[in-house]
Amino acid sequence: MSHSLHRRGAPEDLRHDYILLVTAASGVNHENSKEKLRQVLDLVWEIGPINTGSNETGTILSGVSVEEIKAGFTKVPRVRCCFDSEDKMREILKRLLAMDLGISVTVSGPRGRIEEMCQEMGVQPHSVNFSLDIWGKREKLPPEEIMEFVTMCGHGLISKALVTDTIERIKNGSMTPEQGAVRMGSPCVCGLFNPTRAVKALQKYVPSQREETVK
Amino acid sequence: MVVDQEKCIGCGICMVYCPNDAIQMEEKENGARRASILQEKCLECGNCIRPRVVRCPGKAFYELPEEDRSLSRRLRRFFSDPSTTHPLTGVPGRGTEEVKTNDVTGRVCRGELGICLELGRPIIGTSAADIEKVTMRLARMDIVLEECNPVCEMIADPETGKFKPEFMDASFISAIVEFVIPFSRGPEVLKVCKEIAEEIDTVFSLDMICCYDEDGTNPAVALCEQEGISPRSNAKVNIGIGRPYRIER
Repeated sequence: MSHSLHRRGAPEDLRHDYILLVTAASGVNHENSKEKLRQVLDLVWEIGPINTGSNETGTILSGVSVEEIKAGFTKVPRVRCCFDSEDKMREILKRLLAMDLGISVTVSGPRGRIEEMCQEMGVQPHSVNFSLDIWGKREKLPPEEIMEFVTMCGHGLISKALVTDTIERIKNGSMTPEQGAVRMGSPCVCGLFNPTRAVKALQKYVPSQREETVK
Repeated sequence: MVVDQEKCIGCGICMVYCPNDAIQMEEKENGARRASILQEKCLECGNCIRPRVVRCPGKAFYELPEEDRSLSRRLRRFFSDPSTTHPLTGVPGRGTEEVKTNDVTGRVCRGELGICLELGRPIIGTSAADIEKVTMRLARMDIVLEECNPVCEMIADPETGKFKPEFMDASFISAIVEFVIPFSRGPEVLKVCKEIAEEIDTVFSLDMICCYDEDGTNPAVALCEQEGISPRSNAKVNIGIGRPYRIER
């Protein structure tokens, strides 16, 4: 499923939100791909993602080690991780091209920037999955301030209650934005939750910040 | 999921993690508080049972053995828990790998569009009744749905898109109705998506997959413009380095 698509937020914030998905295709090239995916995860780790994880283990944000993620690879292995830097995304793409593993690589993020990166590296992208927004009973949706957090997990595992409760704790000073980001991100087991974006968005709820905003 | 009443210490830390508000606190006769799960609301996503999510101090959450769960309850997991793999798909998650492996599967080639209606996403959730409205509407257009998707297990008759009655009470976090059409049918399908949006009692996120042309442009951009739809700025780009490479049918 397209779990990294449909992330909400201001275009300026989404410019610092890249997801790398390296995926062996079941029935096509998944045989003997575990070692290749382990190499990819080593490379990712060297460059420095802000989050990575797997369905089987959970995420580094919630205390899982990269070794645990690698050990938990299934027979159709995949690497999912999040970067808050375009430079890092560019670097990893460059190195993946050099590795030439024959495994599918997909990048979620600002389409125009990804296409420019491909052009810089002389790569013709294959296809794109466009987000054509949300349709239907939109009046049932929570405000955009909540949507920005819950859509960072496309599997829908970050509840509205968790977001509102975390914001409340930050407002009353019992939790920092950094702690709040870790708490909210923990249900997103794939590791696509972007804690940098979350911290930035949560900072406006810190009591001192709120007072300054009122002044 | 179920809460072991002997192990629960009544701290309530689990409650906010449930995406469908299925966990409630009950006061027992002795005055002690204990968590329990409203089974009709539990979507079997697994949040509460994962040790690094809720971190239940009493490790009180557990899952009933498969034989003790109804058919629709077992199916819920495939649409709610990303760690489960449905036998039809062979991959974890709620549908195909869509664009993620499209350079080697060739699921959507040049001259085609891959369409996904992700019902219930984001955050609202969906029911079998809503999904059936979509599958029946598409069946009337002779659209063939993607076979590698758990939605197909619920369909009794692909000709009509009607569901098997035993699944009609099911609810999910989200379900994906996905299919591939010739590019020329794009306007007609987008028009029907607008109609479906008026008929269902939930939301859906709409995806459109399209291959780049040889000159590096993507024809879906012009199609969306023509139909008055603006794709959002963030998208998923398959950079095309998988092998064996496939882009033509």
